[in-house]
Amino acid sequence: MLAKLRQLIFGNGDSKSAAKSRLHFVLVQDRSGLTNEELAGFKKDLIDVIKKFFIIDDNGVEVAYQRDSGATTLLINSPVLRRRGGGAPASEAKAKVEAAQAAS
Amino acid sequence: MDSASGTNGNGSAGGKKGLGEVFVVTSGKGGVGKTTATASLGAALALKGKRVLVIDADIGLRNLDVILGLENRVVFNIVDVAKNICKGNQAIIKSKKSNNLYLLPASQTDEKDVISEEDVKSVVEQFRREFHFILIDCPAGIEQGFKNACAAAQKALVVTTPEVAAIRDADRVIGLLNARGIEPFLIVNRVDFDMVRRGDMLSVPDVQDILGIQLVGVVHRDENVIIAANCGEPVAYNIKSLAGQSFNRIASRLMGEAIPLDDEIQDGNFWGRLGRRLGVV
Repeated sequence: MLAKLRQLIFGNGDSKSAAKSRLHFVLVQDRSGLTNEELAGFKKDLIDVIKKFFIIDDNGVEVAYQRDSGATTLLINSPVLRRRGGGAPASEAKAKVEAAQAAS
Repeated sequence: MDSASGTNGNGSAGGKKGLGEVFVVTSGKGGVGKTTATASLGAALALKGKRVLVIDADIGLRNLDVILGLENRVVFNIVDVAKNICKGNQAIIKSKKSNNLYLLPASQTDEKDVISEEDVKSVVEQFRREFHFILIDCPAGIEQGFKNACAAAQKALVVTTPEVAAIRDADRVIGLLNARGIEPFLIVNRVDFDMVRRGDMLSVPDVQDILGIQLVGVVHRDENVIIAANCGEPVAYNIKSLAGQSFNRIASRLMGEAIPLDDEIQDGNFWGRLGRRLGVV
């Protein structure tokens, strides 16, 4: 009951975050027109390419489709841990690869 | 949206060469408020002195007539006009409340594919010189009915609610509209700002971010919409209701007035909210 009162006063719901991330996932599929499997394959190939040059956290790679004024941009976001071949660590750096624009 | 219409309140029709502007009101998903929006925006534009024709393109499932309270005046419909069974001005019905607002009803007994995109274009073309605005209420879905409703439109009002399924479908529709060269504008309907504050509903900026098109209005979740529908009077006539006020503001924006959206996105300030809740404002 206390929890309910607290929720009434302060509010502690967070189902919005779930909605956001689920929409994010489903819209990448819808906008790209790729199936689940194709998308997973695409992501795996991407990771392989990035891994040629950088040491990355595989689980941190995100693929998004963003729409601005009619054109759709493919955004690939990958946290880079280190450059391959003994370069200086780039622990905080995030490599943002903005791929070609595809008409929606 | 300054390009949306002529800037004067009562002069010649908006758009070029005295032709009315044609909007399709669409959403993909059903039940998000397309028909309510069409009726109320039509009523609000008419109140502001524009001549408006609302067209029900939902053949087989017509509803715009009941929302406008004109169901017992329907004689002819859009299919009759398309098939030259009657003249255009025989089929349109004048609203009870306004001399500026007319309805072209859908046929209730036909299938969606009984008319083609070309048919719709020629029907709309007949009316473009007589009206400042033509609003076409699109059926749910993205099949023939959607294609027909879009055939004659230059701009689209995409209605969505802050829910996953509605936003997903709106996104799909926006893609299709872009492919057709129809410029989409966003209406976020049925926003419950208490739920937004609680973190249990996507906010208007969230929805806008995801869909990436220009926002023209925000409509509160408001029980007056149902009450208005019960009575067959567009909620825009109830200017004390939040939804009615929202639709009137959207209508002004469609007429080219620059009405700031910030307050609507944020639901105003604390005192305004308190006042509304207590029924003062």
